[in-house]
Parts: sequence; C-alpha cells; structure tokens
Amino acid sequence: MDILSHLTPMFFGLIAAGTLVGIIFGAIPGMTATMAVAVCLPLTYAFGLENGVALLLGLYVGGISGGMVPAVLLNIPGTPSSITTTFDGYPMAQRGEGERALKTGIVASIFGGLFSAAVLFFFAPILADFAIKFSNVEKFLIILLALTVIASLCSNLLMGIFSGVLGVWLSLIGTYSIMDGGNGETRLMFDWMEYYLIDGFSLLPVLIGIFGLTTVLLDAEKSFKNDSNQGRISLKNGKKFSFTVFKGQFINLVRSSSIGTFVGMLPGVGGSAASVLAYSQEKNFSRDSSQMGKGAPQGIVSSEASNNALTGGALVPLLSLGIPGDSTTAILIGAFTLQGIQVGPLFIGNNMDTWYLIIIGLLAANLLMFAIMYLAIKPIAKVIEVPKYILYPLIIMMCVVGAYAINYGIMFDVWTLLLFGIFGWVAHKIGLETVPLIIGFILGKSAEIYFVKSLESYGNFSIFFTKSPIAMMLWVLIAMSLAFAIYVNIRNRRHASMQS
Amino acid sequence: MESHWLSLFDVSIDFGQSNLFFPRIVTWILVVLLGVILLTRYRHVVPGIKNAGRVLAGRSGEFDRKRFFGTIVLTTIYFYMMGELSDVFPNTGYSFLICSIVFVLALSLLYIDHFSRRLLLIVVLNALIAPTLAWYVLAQLFRITLP
Repeated sequence: MDILSHLTPMFFGLIAAGTLVGIIFGAIPGMTATMAVAVCLPLTYAFGLENGVALLLGLYVGGISGGMVPAVLLNIPGTPSSITTTFDGYPMAQRGEGERALKTGIVASIFGGLFSAAVLFFFAPILADFAIKFSNVEKFLIILLALTVIASLCSNLLMGIFSGVLGVWLSLIGTYSIMDGGNGETRLMFDWMEYYLIDGFSLLPVLIGIFGLTTVLLDAEKSFKNDSNQGRISLKNGKKFSFTVFKGQFINLVRSSSIGTFVGMLPGVGGSAASVLAYSQEKNFSRDSSQMGKGAPQGIVSSEASNNALTGGALVPLLSLGIPGDSTTAILIGAFTLQGIQVGPLFIGNNMDTWYLIIIGLLAANLLMFAIMYLAIKPIAKVIEVPKYILYPLIIMMCVVGAYAINYGIMFDVWTLLLFGIFGWVAHKIGLETVPLIIGFILGKSAEIYFVKSLESYGNFSIFFTKSPIAMMLWVLIAMSLAFAIYVNIRNRRHASMQS
Repeated sequence: MESHWLSLFDVSIDFGQSNLFFPRIVTWILVVLLGVILLTRYRHVVPGIKNAGRVLAGRSGEFDRKRFFGTIVLTTIYFYMMGELSDVFPNTGYSFLICSIVFVLALSLLYIDHFSRRLLLIVVLNALIAPTLAWYVLAQLFRITLP
C-alpha cells in the first residue's frame, strides 16, 4: 500500500496547520477561505503534491468553519456562507450563550463536512466514469452548462453571462498552443505585448489579485475603523453547551448537509446560497420554527451543516469533470496544475493514491477542525480583534510571494496581480460578477480546444445539437437554467413593484 | 432535404487562421452582450459614471481617497522597487525583504486611525519581524524563489 507511506506526521501536521490558519482567516471579517488558500499557496510550492494538498484542504475546511465566529459574536458573517448563522447565533450570544452557539455550530459543521466527504467518495468516481465517455462536443457543452448555471444564479443574468464570456475572452489572450492542436500564433494583443503575454495571463496571479488585493482595496475605500470590533460580545458562561441540543435535529442535519453538498456541486453557486436555502427549508419544514431568528440552535445547525457540506460537494465537479465548484476550488485547480496534475475525468483513475489522500485529508481536516475549534474556541474568538493595519500589508506581501514564485520568478506575474487586483475592484463597482468571470477564465482555453476540435472533426455547427442524446440533454439543462433565471428575475421584479 | 438544410451550418477552419476562429466568436458575443446591457440599462449608465467620477474626486459619498489611492500608489512603488532591487541582489530574496519591510511599515501607517507610541512600536516591530520571518521560511528554509 503506497498510500500509507504518504500518511506521515508531516501530512497530518500540515492539515492541522492549514485548518488552524484557515479558521483564523475565516474568523476575521472580510477574510475568506478563498483568500486563505490564495495567500498560503506559495507554501505548497515547497511541498510535493500530497503535502501541498493536505495544507490546502485544511485551509479550505478551516476557512469555511471559522466564519461562524464573527457571525455569532459580532453579527458579521466571517465568510459569505455564514450569513444565516448570524440570524440565531448573535441573539444567542446576546443572551450569554455565545459558547453554546459556537459549539452547536462546530458539531453541525463536522456533520456537514463528513457527510459531503462521503458523497464525494462515492459519487465523484461514478461521475468521472460517466464523463470519460464524453467526446469534445459533450465536453464543450458541459463547460457551456457550467457557465450558464453560474450566470443564471447571479443577481443579474445578463451581467453574469457577460462576466463569464469576458473571463473566457481574457483566457484566450496569448498563443494558440501547438500542444493543444493550435497553430502556435498569438491573438488578442498588440505585437509589443508578445514578450509578456506569449503564454497569456497566469491563472494564479489573476486569482490572487482578484481575491486578495481586490478585498484589501474594497476595504481601504470604506475608511474602516481599527476599533471596528467594539460591538463584540464576549463568550460568557451562560447556558452551557450540551449534545442534547441536537435532540430531534437529525433530519435537519441530513437535509441541510444534502442541500449544502448539492449546491456545492453546482459550479460557482457559492456558500451563501446553500446556507440560505437550508435555513429556509428548516423554517418551512420543522415542527416548531417560531424561535428561528430569535436565537434557536436549529437555525445554527442548518446554516453550519450546509456551509461545511459545500467543501466536499464543490470537490465533486473539480475532481470528476475538472470544473471548479466555487472560487476556492478554482484556486485548488491552479495548485493541482502547479504540481503537474490535470484534474478531469481521468484524474481519479490515473491517480488513485492522490484520490484516497484527498478523501483522507478531507476527513482529517474536518476532524481536526472540530478538535481545534471545540477545545480552543475562546482563544480563537480573540482572533477577530486582529487589526487590519497589521493584517492587510502582510496579505499583500504574501500575495506577491504567491504571484512571483508561480513561474519561478517572473516579475510580470506580480504586475498581473496588481492589474487584476484593480480590475477586480472596478468589476465590483460596475456590477460584473467575479465568480463567472473566474470560472470563464479557467475554462476558456479548454472550451476553445473542444469547440474547435468538434468543428474540425464534423465540419458543421449542428453537431453540437445532434451529436448524442447526452448533448441534447445538456441543451435541455442549459435551457432550463436560463428559464429558471428569467423566471426568478420576473418574480423578483413583481415582488419589488408590489412592495413599492 | 434535411442535409441541404443542415449544410447552412457547414464550417471549415483555415489552420493558418485557426488562432483567431474562437476568439472572434467570443469577441462578437461580448460586443453584442455589451450592446444589450447598454441598451437595457442606459438610464443607469450615464448617471452611474457621473456619480463614480464625483465619488473618486471626493465630492460625494463615503470614499476614503487617501487610503484607497495610497494603497495603490504604495503597492505600485513596492512592486517597481522590488523589480529594480532584484537586479542588485539577484536570487537572494533581499530585494523582497528590504522592500517588504518598508512597504509593510508604510501601509500600516497609512491605515492607522490614531497614532500612539505603543501603536507605532507594534507597527514597526510587525514591519521588521513579519517580512523577515516570511523571507527566512520561504527563501531560506523552503528555497522558494523570491525577488
């Protein structure tokens, strides 16, 4: 068993370190799991694939879980996915039950995390086996479906589609590689840019810029106060936590974890959608939801179980189709590429050891998250007091390391980070959607290869509709996602006009 | 009949121009989408641009120009100086270390609301210790390429 040789103290130590750093990032309002992964990415350059993945999985799980701390103590979601934790967590903290609320969230989190890891383990290989049979036509349509689903779940469908297409366009800058069946010529740039952009923009500096520097710029303009945590509630020893709080919550746990896992599988949908959906379902279906929103533990259970279930869910499309499920897994795809691993339908079959290590890593990250947060919740709660004048300069410094080291020392990658950091800020201001943009950027080159190869093979555009029943089914799904978006748009407009 | 109808969709890709085939389609889709967005949201576009100009100029809205533009300017200088100094100290990471100490200190000072001696000491110590630690761990222990 070669896999056992990788299960070293170093492997588990890195998961623990990653989980702890992730929790700290998640616990600081404005910092996200994505940022934790982006900032710590340079550390993985020094490790092999297995240890690098261990660190990143720890950061991912820790980052999502840490978001509950400010949600409960400050009424500010540390990460977007803990938005619904504020609904009941903060009222509980105001009653002096902060520790009880946090520990309820921690137990729900581990349930959601382990549930989604199990789904990942059983479902991803099946999906990958199915996807292996796809021709270039179906592969192109899968990418189109992913982009359509992401765009359809944006607040503005048109801007979502535009952002996704813009991401694809940006990814095409550079050479049409001979390795990919291209003619080796450049496009979408002036001649003087060829020296810098012959291979296009590197993925990770773009991601680090948009998720790292943009966050700092968005906060810098708001004139943040360094004593912004004045409204913080301390962890009083009010009503103690007991596992009896989970009595009658099994259905809530399973339903919320299922919702989180499923939403995680949809590319780019994001954690806030999962937790809001799980919370609203608990409100609709529970026998007594009268206390929800006023400090009911069942609200925290649904929110935290669903957002931690995202982690395994988002890894399903990444590892079986090569399509990132959320912004954090978008960075993971870059980390895999860096280690020479191409994720996609062949990944699991060709890398069984790595596949098992990912599952073990995900399980270990959830267990360690539970241990760290359950035992050390009081010191972790102090993390939210770290002032931004200390934090932000260090984040930009680490972003530089990540961008510079990615191609073993190219200064242009550092400038790319700045360029896309400012671009991310502008995009935010004019209403462009970051997630479809990034997913479009990641999948753009593959989309081109599959599209062109399909047409070179069949010589007719109609092949995209007539190739196989799977292709037709994918078109139905694309049409359904668009119809859903239009329906929601119309319903929201009616709702808004009725309210006004 | 059917094959005649489908032949409308026939396409052949010239290999010499194949690098432009997909980008041209994507560019056209972008242009069309931009046109539709401008057409459907034209009422918001012009006032939006005017408002953005006013906010950036500091004439309306809550916008901390000093911190925002200060961050961009300091980051640009940081990157530029790092590139310049890396020619002086190639492959050592010293350029990263020196520039990071100055940058972390400058940006921290920019972000501080109220100065005090204690705060200044914390900021200076942070600017000295954190980049040195990062440089030692990354460049010396892990042998990661730094400017």
